[in-house]
Amino acid sequence: MDKGPANPEIKEKVLQYLDTVEKAKSKDIAKAIGEEKGAVDLAVKELSMEDKVEYLYITTTFVALKGKVGAPA
Amino acid sequence: MEEERKTPRLDELERGPWPSFVTEIKRAAVKSEAADDLLGLLEKSYEDKVGHWKHGGIVGVKGYGGGVIGRYTDMPEEFPHLREFHTMRLNQPSGWFYTSEALRKICDIWEKHGSGLTNFHGSTGDVILLGTTTSELQPTFDEFSDAGFDLGGSGSDLRSPSCCVGPGRCEFACYDTLDMCFDLTNEYQDELHRPMWPYKFKIKMSGCANDCVAAIARADLSVIGTWRDCIRIDQDEVKAYAAGGLDIQTAVCDKCPTRALHFNARSGELSVDGEDCSRCMHCVNVMTKAIRQGREKGATLLIGAKSTIVKSAFLSWVVVPFMKLESPYTEFKELLSRIWDWWDENGKTRERIGELIYRVGMGEFLRAVGLPPVPQMVFRPRANPYVFWPEDEIVKQEQQAAPPESGQE
Repeated sequence: MDKGPANPEIKEKVLQYLDTVEKAKSKDIAKAIGEEKGAVDLAVKELSMEDKVEYLYITTTFVALKGKVGAPA
Repeated sequence: MEEERKTPRLDELERGPWPSFVTEIKRAAVKSEAADDLLGLLEKSYEDKVGHWKHGGIVGVKGYGGGVIGRYTDMPEEFPHLREFHTMRLNQPSGWFYTSEALRKICDIWEKHGSGLTNFHGSTGDVILLGTTTSELQPTFDEFSDAGFDLGGSGSDLRSPSCCVGPGRCEFACYDTLDMCFDLTNEYQDELHRPMWPYKFKIKMSGCANDCVAAIARADLSVIGTWRDCIRIDQDEVKAYAAGGLDIQTAVCDKCPTRALHFNARSGELSVDGEDCSRCMHCVNVMTKAIRQGREKGATLLIGAKSTIVKSAFLSWVVVPFMKLESPYTEFKELLSRIWDWWDENGKTRERIGELIYRVGMGEFLRAVGLPPVPQMVFRPRANPYVFWPEDEIVKQEQQAAPPESGQE
């Protein structure tokens, strides 16, 4: 199901927000930046393909800036 | 010469006539240092009675948020080849139909990039590839991708949809489980590869109530084949079963959960109260030649099965008693979209949809996704529908419950 391209402004807001936290769920990012959850999901998808963010599994899946969170201690 | 590793506890698991995962790891250890270290670590775990694994962190390759489970040992000095020992999941084909060429290809790629150890299949259904390093993840994925394979789900995403062999091998399939599984897998690539939800979501498709993928106990959304009309009985075949020695009353009628079947031993005829039949498949399984499913086939949708995490284990709960399932599955997908939206909006972190429904109530869920309440949704019949208390019993209870008078213990 093609959802089209992500909004570049939302992508930028996602990156800015992730810079302020260690990691976050997409739902919390959407709430924090005041955007629709679906639009944030799309932005995160594109940002992960651009290698700017990555998904992390720590009891549930989070999103973080690429390389910000290391392997579990 | 390097000293041979001693594994007395693991060796116990090679005894008996059954296949042994220890034997297979030992075979792999001839070629793989990681597999050899794994034997040592497992022996150590049995000795210490504690697992020596950490997991989490990285979960994917570029653009993916699922399909890789980061694993590390907490004893990297002693077992250096397990310092990183990540699991990869490959999305299985519908019904697990492979050619031997495809299986060899998977094993060749995995021996090149990983430990060579596999698990066919994980409980969700994927091919499980056990043990590779962080630097090998992307090259491994690239080579599998070039060979036509894709990663499966992991983390808070749609897990790889799975289905029974369906019409590929089974006459009981009430819909094309293979086609539906393939269709959903392709339709929901984003949901499968990019975790965006409170937690995992599993869709499992069984062609009939025999439920060969155990959907009812495991899937957030179970799709279980059924029929809307009545079973069909061939009386000549019923007589043939009876003549062949089958005790129809004991083996079929007495085991019908709703006692919907009646056998007349004198006439040799079997009859059914169609409105009482719960379509459990028992009679069809026992008297395959005499009893067939109805003609109007589709599936029942059930929601909310899961293993214990936030709440205890749940079985699925009927939400749509009957839905026709034919490509492109529009009605199903529209409902699924509403279910996901509601869960994503209202679910707490790590809360499966069954747990959310448990927390807020089925009524809330039904209103949110636009499903009408119907009798088939009744979770369990009331065991004590009417309780009458005689007046004297109430007085007696009140006297017993009254606080003691002053000065009395």
